[in-house]
Amino acid sequence: MSWAIEINNLNVWYSDKHILKDISFKVPKNIIFAIMGPSGCGKSTLLRAMNRLLELNPNAKVKGQVKINGIDVYNDNVDITWVRRQFGMVFQIPNPFPHLSVYDNVALGPKLNGLVKNKKQLDELVKHALQQAYLWDEVKNDLKKPASMLSGGQQQRLCIARALALKPKIILMDEPTANLDPVASSKIEELMLELKENYTIIIVTHNSQQAARISDYVAFLYMGKLVEVGETSTVFTKPRHELTEKYVVGKIG
Amino acid sequence: MNKRKLKDKIMLGVISLLAIISAIPILMIIINIYAEGLKYVNLSFLINFPPPPIGGKVGGIGPALVGSLILMSLALVIGGCIGFFTGLYLSEFSHTRLAQYAQLFLQIMVEFPTIIIGLFAYSILVAPLKRFNAFAGAFALSIVIIPYIALNVREAYKSIPHSLKEAAFSLGISHSKVYLKVLLSTARRGVLTALLIGMAKAAGETAPLLFTILGATFLYFEGLDQPINAIPLLIYNFASSPYERWHQVAWGASAVLLSIILAIFIISRLVIKEVRM
Ligand SMILES: Nc1ncnc2c1ncn2[C@@H]1O[C@H](COP(=O)(O)OP(=O)(O)OP(=O)(O)O)[C@@H](O)[C@H]1O
Ligand SMILES: [Mg+2]
Repeated sequence: MSWAIEINNLNVWYSDKHILKDISFKVPKNIIFAIMGPSGCGKSTLLRAMNRLLELNPNAKVKGQVKINGIDVYNDNVDITWVRRQFGMVFQIPNPFPHLSVYDNVALGPKLNGLVKNKKQLDELVKHALQQAYLWDEVKNDLKKPASMLSGGQQQRLCIARALALKPKIILMDEPTANLDPVASSKIEELMLELKENYTIIIVTHNSQQAARISDYVAFLYMGKLVEVGETSTVFTKPRHELTEKYVVGKIG
Repeated sequence: MNKRKLKDKIMLGVISLLAIISAIPILMIIINIYAEGLKYVNLSFLINFPPPPIGGKVGGIGPALVGSLILMSLALVIGGCIGFFTGLYLSEFSHTRLAQYAQLFLQIMVEFPTIIIGLFAYSILVAPLKRFNAFAGAFALSIVIIPYIALNVREAYKSIPHSLKEAAFSLGISHSKVYLKVLLSTARRGVLTALLIGMAKAAGETAPLLFTILGATFLYFEGLDQPINAIPLLIYNFASSPYERWHQVAWGASAVLLSIILAIFIISRLVIKEVRM
């Protein structure tokens, strides 16, 4: 079996604080992989360690391996911008570039990374990404309007389109529905189920019900340690670890 | 009305009064300068040579106006570039030793007496050439405005929400493109304001020009290695002369200078408004 991502003995420190402790797991391709755990356990840190976004924080120190297609993203010969393009990332608070138009938000990445040859290609790419994010029909007449005019749920789907436009293999989502109402949230969840046909999705959530609802595999993180990882159905019905059991029934978190 | 509300009201009244009082000097300066100077200002005043000390018409401040515009543009190009990139560095690499020292240094530089900067420019660009020259003046003005621009650009970039920086970097865009193509448009309001503050400063400074450009009163631009005049220096020279005629020119020039500064100020306010929408 080939894996979308393999993590070996990953450790992260912020200054001297040991945040992630010896994390190892593998993510199969074309599935939804959920990372759940109580607030502050290191979920966002783990996600940012995968695409090396963590390095925006000068105090962060990483040790260990994160492999995509057998390549360790922390290898000295690997270009950090290449690493980041292998992942699409969606954040907890929808963060489109508010002063840019709907179109430009999606077009920016491909344009600045030189992925398209001409305007026509770019138009098609933008349209396709917006269609994939189930946003096209709602915004096709407002492509020139600033992104800040969209509703929260639409903004989040715009961010998904922005991530998809770079044609990544893996999509990282950091609590993508935490700031949305139930209707907008369920739209995003449906969208994720659709996207896993073509992508591997890693989603952070501190909502164990969401993990149970949508994920195929789940990892449970507690105070920087990986407590349990496995198929979602197994982890939720026959957890091996007492902590996991407490968490899934809502006694922790 | 209860006692506490009354107290609040009185407090508010006193504060408002003080605010008004502190604005009075500015208003009086503006009124005074326009009352004394505006009557000399017309198109030919902006173009003509200054008058001889005695006799003749009021003339104009053409060379000084041209000189000021040249010095301002040069200072803005030199000081603007250096100040912008310094400010960007201060904001985005604020954890480095270098940035911490640079920031401290710039904060001291803001408080530097500008006459010392003029003297410095004299010692390295005027004395060796044995000639006052426009470039030395522009150089001195650049140094004066660099800390203002750098510290304001730093604020502009610092004010960008971290989530937008993360979004930009997550797209796999290189550092330089993130800062100059994505985030600059987010920070453009602050960056423009920084440049305008620098421009206003360059327009009004006198001390850095005293030892550098001479204030060649009867010459338009002759080259960067030649003497040149500037409005603040003309005001200084003419106002301290014993001639009535030159005093009149100095008043007129003050009105022009004030208008330039006010125009820059109004533009910077409009920029803020425009971008806010
Ligand atoms: N920039 C930082 N500097 C220092 N410590 C940090 C920083 N960011 C996060 N931390 C700490 O690292 C730990 C893990 O944070 P992280 O954001 O990864 O947790 P999380 O599981 O995503 O939590 P949440 O569910 O609240 O989002 C926390 O204890 C947090 O206080
Ligand atoms: Mg988090």
